[in-house]
Amino acid sequence: MLFTSIQFVAFFLIVLALNQLLRRWPVLQKLMLLLASYYFYAQWNWHYLFLVWFSTLVDYTIGLRLPYSPNPKRLIILSVIVNLGFLAVFKYANWLIHTLNGVTALTGSDLHITPLDVVLPVGISFYTFQSLSYTIDVYRGVLPPRRNLLEYALAVAFFPQLEAGPIVRAREFLAEFDGPKLVRMADVQRALVLIAFGFAKKMVFADTLALIADPVFDNPAHAGFWDTLIAIYGFAFQIYCDFSGYTDIAIGCALLLGIRFPQNFNYPYIAQSIQDFWRRWHMTLSRWLRDYLYISLGGNRRGELRTLANLMITMLLGGLWHGASWNFVIWGGLHGSCLVIERVVLARWKLWQSTSWFMACVRWFVTFNVVCFAWIFFRAKTFAAAIQMIGNLVHGARGLLHAFSPDQQLGGLLLILLMLTTHLINGHGDTKERLGANSGPGFTVAMTVVLLLLILFTPNHSAPFIYFQF
Amino acid sequence: MRYLKFVAPIALVVIIDLIFQFGAWEPIASPESHAGMSITKKRALADPEFQHIDFVSLGSSRPAYGVDHAAFAKAAAAHNFVYANLTVAGTHWMTIGVLVHWLAVHHPEIRGGVIALSVQDFLASGNGAYEIGIVYPFRELADIGSMARHVPFDWHDAATFGLYSGLFEYHEDVQDLLLHPQHRSDLLDYFRSLTPGRVLMENVDETADMCAAPINTLQDCSALSSRGSKDDPKILRQCEQLEATARNRFDLRPILDGQSSDERLQKTSDQIREQLRQISWPTPPVFVLMPMPSVWASDVVPQGTHAWALSVLQPLVAEGKIRVLDYTDMFGRDGGPECKAFFDLYHNNVTGRQRVMERLLPELEQQLFAAQNTSRPTQIAHAPQLSH
Repeated sequence: MLFTSIQFVAFFLIVLALNQLLRRWPVLQKLMLLLASYYFYAQWNWHYLFLVWFSTLVDYTIGLRLPYSPNPKRLIILSVIVNLGFLAVFKYANWLIHTLNGVTALTGSDLHITPLDVVLPVGISFYTFQSLSYTIDVYRGVLPPRRNLLEYALAVAFFPQLEAGPIVRAREFLAEFDGPKLVRMADVQRALVLIAFGFAKKMVFADTLALIADPVFDNPAHAGFWDTLIAIYGFAFQIYCDFSGYTDIAIGCALLLGIRFPQNFNYPYIAQSIQDFWRRWHMTLSRWLRDYLYISLGGNRRGELRTLANLMITMLLGGLWHGASWNFVIWGGLHGSCLVIERVVLARWKLWQSTSWFMACVRWFVTFNVVCFAWIFFRAKTFAAAIQMIGNLVHGARGLLHAFSPDQQLGGLLLILLMLTTHLINGHGDTKERLGANSGPGFTVAMTVVLLLLILFTPNHSAPFIYFQF
Repeated sequence: MRYLKFVAPIALVVIIDLIFQFGAWEPIASPESHAGMSITKKRALADPEFQHIDFVSLGSSRPAYGVDHAAFAKAAAAHNFVYANLTVAGTHWMTIGVLVHWLAVHHPEIRGGVIALSVQDFLASGNGAYEIGIVYPFRELADIGSMARHVPFDWHDAATFGLYSGLFEYHEDVQDLLLHPQHRSDLLDYFRSLTPGRVLMENVDETADMCAAPINTLQDCSALSSRGSKDDPKILRQCEQLEATARNRFDLRPILDGQSSDERLQKTSDQIREQLRQISWPTPPVFVLMPMPSVWASDVVPQGTHAWALSVLQPLVAEGKIRVLDYTDMFGRDGGPECKAFFDLYHNNVTGRQRVMERLLPELEQQLFAAQNTSRPTQIAHAPQLSH
């Protein structure tokens, strides 16, 4: 059940109504939300509900036993093995098997392992990380174990964030149950702005940009310089609108149900460094990787060289988290390398760190283009396709003025410039926040415009959310 | 008041939608779109030259190409009658119904006319959601119910949202305008330069034929695609459509023989009859079953389609509600070679059109013009002249 489907709208309205009706009975309210979440997940494939239940029960039990265990380390290792074991089997096993088969074929060996017949469960990367954050927090002593299984199960499976995040840490989610769950009129307004913007980002912009980017990434051998350049920039905004649109809808829906989610995007393309980019892009994943991986590896406490290695390992694994492919590893590696260069070289280069507007523009330009370059590996289906895309840019650059076709490429270019301009303007003014609190006609006008955009500019063919595959 | 700001955006969108429904987008709609073709006709009909119309022709692209409208108009003018060609590509029963209703309101003086479709049009009362676009410029709120009977509203098909929403109906047109503004401007300039007489009385001439690669059976289609030749891609595409249609071929003959029944077909038949009975022109319309390449009957449409179409029309003929001219097979059998008469698998070329008119014009003279009282009001004497 996609957020952008009529079925979801009907489902959510029913859940919202029941949530309001049951507000005097919090236990029933939570039970209804839990059942609704399981129903939501079962719409995709009910068999995989067992994985969610298993992960929930294992981590709930480990959480309860951790404070009293003579050997808590063993328990936390068990939690890590169970959660990452699911990921290993369902997400990475076939990739490893294919890699191994490739290596053995190269060496002329007869060894061949038959790939597993498994389907990647939707949202597994998200809910396993959420569940892991709970046991690690309990192990670290920053969160007392939750005795209420209903609340814990809801924290793992709450439907707005179950399939593609944001990755809400258990302590953040469970804290929402400790206070009164009030939905004020201001929350409704803010939620409606988020949901409307989310729908517009996904259905109008991401799906339109997909029409520009997909044909080129799927068949780069037939693309020229301009097609390739526009497809790369187009994909940069497609994935932003797709994922942040999903997150906006998730945060808005949760807010209407009385649950506050953390922010997941903060205009990442206005970043002036890769470090800044990761503070603005998929912020809940960045925080998770920082708190549970980078810091666990030692963070920056064990000398400069170890810090750089930790950064690189974190980004490589962060890349691999997105999907079982060497392209994702390269994508993570590119970001990791840039973080290392920023830390070792650019942080000490006074001219680069200048506060002048000119240098700010240079930093922004370089950062934006590095991020877009890395997206090539993220989106391309194979390593060869990524190289072909880069080749199109290098070889096509010689005749770039001659090759530009206004009929074919002007529309896409103008759309990307529009996206970039609005991104830069909104990034420095945060339109959504201001509209969410607007008491004048601004809210009405903005919502009318968004509704008109949705009706008039939604392409006929809607693509699934990109992050569902992760 | 507290909730006004939440309701206001929806109210504003509804108001803008109504503005679209009442024709605000029509002046800049693409003349090449389904709605745009109807808008071109509607605009021409608004010209004072066509304030009074005596005869019209309604139908799909088959009569648009296969009937000589200039000859029809000339023959009508010889009797001091005014003729208007309202055939629009894609017309099916929904369009016939809405147009007849619109004409009854705006041109109650109409004496009669021709309705031309083909036998396969009797297999369903709806022809796809695109027909909503064709009728949109002519439809009134009262027509929505009957339109929904032809093309039911479907939550999963945004194209059907146009039944109730002007914004949804024109959303692809708005997108196209933004993508190709220069092309739109050129198109609008060209279509605005057309005189109403040219829009409503002249022909679209296609002189090509299909004799280079005749299609007499579906095997000819397969051979054409397997050759991978540089033949007309339109013919190849049409061949694919025919092959897809043929995959769902069924036999209507047991239904015609009364051995079995089909609720959907019976409903279609009832709807068609009801619609044709509602036409209140003083002279019963002449219903022309347009010629079809023989491959349709031999390999594509259900066996018995021709007889089924005639069985639908027969009671109406008996009631005196319509007259039927059946040209379905006129180029098959002894009328061939049919490849000379068609420029694709649907439409007649100029040669085919001339041969249709050799038969049709005498019928029109007898069944439409001669049946009228020729002592007409003097204003009709100023019938528009054709500009050839």
